[in-house]
Amino acid sequence: MDVTGILDEHKSRFKSVQVDRLIPPEIDLGMLASFDINMINDAKLKANQNTRDTYLKELSREGAQLLINEIFSLPTTVDDDGIYASLPKATTVLPREKPVPKEKLLTRWEKFAKIKNIQKRKKSRMAFDEEQGEWRPRYGFKGINNDDQKPWLIEVPGNADPYADQYQARRQEKKERVEKNKRRQQRNAEEGVATEKGLKPQEMRKRELQKALVMSKGSTASLGKFDEKLKGEPKIKGLKRKFDPLVSTVDKEKSKNMDILNRVAKKESSATVLNVRKAQRAINNSKRKQK
Amino acid sequence: MLLQPKPKNARSKRVMVNRDPKVVENSKTAIFVRGSTTSQVILNVLADLYSLRKPDAINFTKKNEIHPFDDETSIEFFARKNDSSLFAVGMHSKKRPHNLILGRTFNYQILDMVELGIERCTPMSEFKAEACAVGMKPLMVFNGEAFNQNENMIRLKSILLDFFRGETAEMVSLKGLEYVISVTTGPPGINGEPGQIFFRSYTTSLKKSGVRQPRVELEEMGPSLDMRIRRVRYPTDDMWKQSTRIPKELKVTKVKNITRDGLGDKYGRVHLGKQDINKIQTRKVKALKKHLDGGPNKRQKTDIEE
Repeated sequence: MDVTGILDEHKSRFKSVQVDRLIPPEIDLGMLASFDINMINDAKLKANQNTRDTYLKELSREGAQLLINEIFSLPTTVDDDGIYASLPKATTVLPREKPVPKEKLLTRWEKFAKIKNIQKRKKSRMAFDEEQGEWRPRYGFKGINNDDQKPWLIEVPGNADPYADQYQARRQEKKERVEKNKRRQQRNAEEGVATEKGLKPQEMRKRELQKALVMSKGSTASLGKFDEKLKGEPKIKGLKRKFDPLVSTVDKEKSKNMDILNRVAKKESSATVLNVRKAQRAINNSKRKQK
Repeated sequence: MLLQPKPKNARSKRVMVNRDPKVVENSKTAIFVRGSTTSQVILNVLADLYSLRKPDAINFTKKNEIHPFDDETSIEFFARKNDSSLFAVGMHSKKRPHNLILGRTFNYQILDMVELGIERCTPMSEFKAEACAVGMKPLMVFNGEAFNQNENMIRLKSILLDFFRGETAEMVSLKGLEYVISVTTGPPGINGEPGQIFFRSYTTSLKKSGVRQPRVELEEMGPSLDMRIRRVRYPTDDMWKQSTRIPKELKVTKVKNITRDGLGDKYGRVHLGKQDINKIQTRKVKALKKHLDGGPNKRQKTDIEE
């Protein structure tokens, strides 16, 4: 049986989805984009607005058709909302918005736990308070670790001073624990910063101290020149005073003197006069920030 | 020692955490900024691009003294404030009439940008076709060899792709392919400088075609822009390298000894280890029996070697 006639009739009812292109366009399905490098009819683009727009529309239609043909040939999944095509990964490289996140630095405990292979276990938020006979949060509002949730009556230990305030002692104890934990957090953070910079934590601390020392010197009028020296105080590097030679060429001397004269005579606003020390400090600050 | 601001409540903490660098990033937010002087043309362009870019877009309604090519600080400030990484700045001056700057930032610093002179603009409002729904992913069609050859055009292509690609999706609804953005390069000038760029956007309608793939028909939805490239700022090599780095978590680890051919068939190479020839099971022939090597045999007591 010859079916070509039937097929042709079937075909003629619909417009074709075929698109002829000399070079098949590069298609990035992950990005839903197609890049066509075929020749463009420049004459039509140079012509009047109408021809140009119809030509562009045709060109875009064909490009879109090629893309749609590819998308509709992808494997699909059916959902309540409709049919979804699963896209491959995009091949076009586009920049990120922010840098790749840095790896989180381990705290001392985490390092230790890793060596000892100690697994983190999840504790329930609520814990049973046996004295009160009910469930309470472990910490936070009405938590069992709170002072007011603990027994109001404290037995004075046998060897203790009977007049000492045991409640005060209890509060003090907790305060110290909290402080200790805070200090450790700080230490972990500092060590993290040091390792990020590739320094030993001790060295980092030393540098910070020296930096603070230099900064503190700026608070006296002599910039610390006549301050009492500390024990083992390091010599400050990078502070050098430079003097011009007493005798130089006539031109230089003249321009220098004229500069001073001009500055005094014209009474230029303070904004135009460059405060060298201030500028130097600004530069140093910015350098420090960059580091 | 540590100068990091600490969030004061849970909400601001959530916001701060959300702004931290991520392995899989959120879709980029774009800001649309007006310069100190603008023309109606440029305002229309900004409004239309904003409506295409919604919902990940922030429209600035006040004028700003801003010149990204001369001074980056204010655009970088805006980027940081709004946690955005794409920007469109529109301005109008005698020297550069109807000026549109499209660009992107990386880590709140300008990465690259392209300045476009709008030579003709038909806004969305002048087209009869109904605009597509908000937040749809467009099909992007780039026509012209220049997009692969001219450095400026390559940059423009990359920026436009980034600007309009929307969210990164693994799946796309076949009904959701609602509009097409088409960018075509015009004929180059006499001195070889890149020609006009025709930016068009169309809504699609999918018609039955008798085969699985539907036939696409387009209707122009706007905006329709004819423009020309003016100034271009390229990214520094270092910055580009940093911005295109793939996090370790997302890198595809190479699997040894497994290959796929063009048809998607999988081939594996298996190592069997060293073979002990003495233990291989071969055809059982009387002559190859073990006792012939000199081993003890109860039935045959004659020595073969003799």
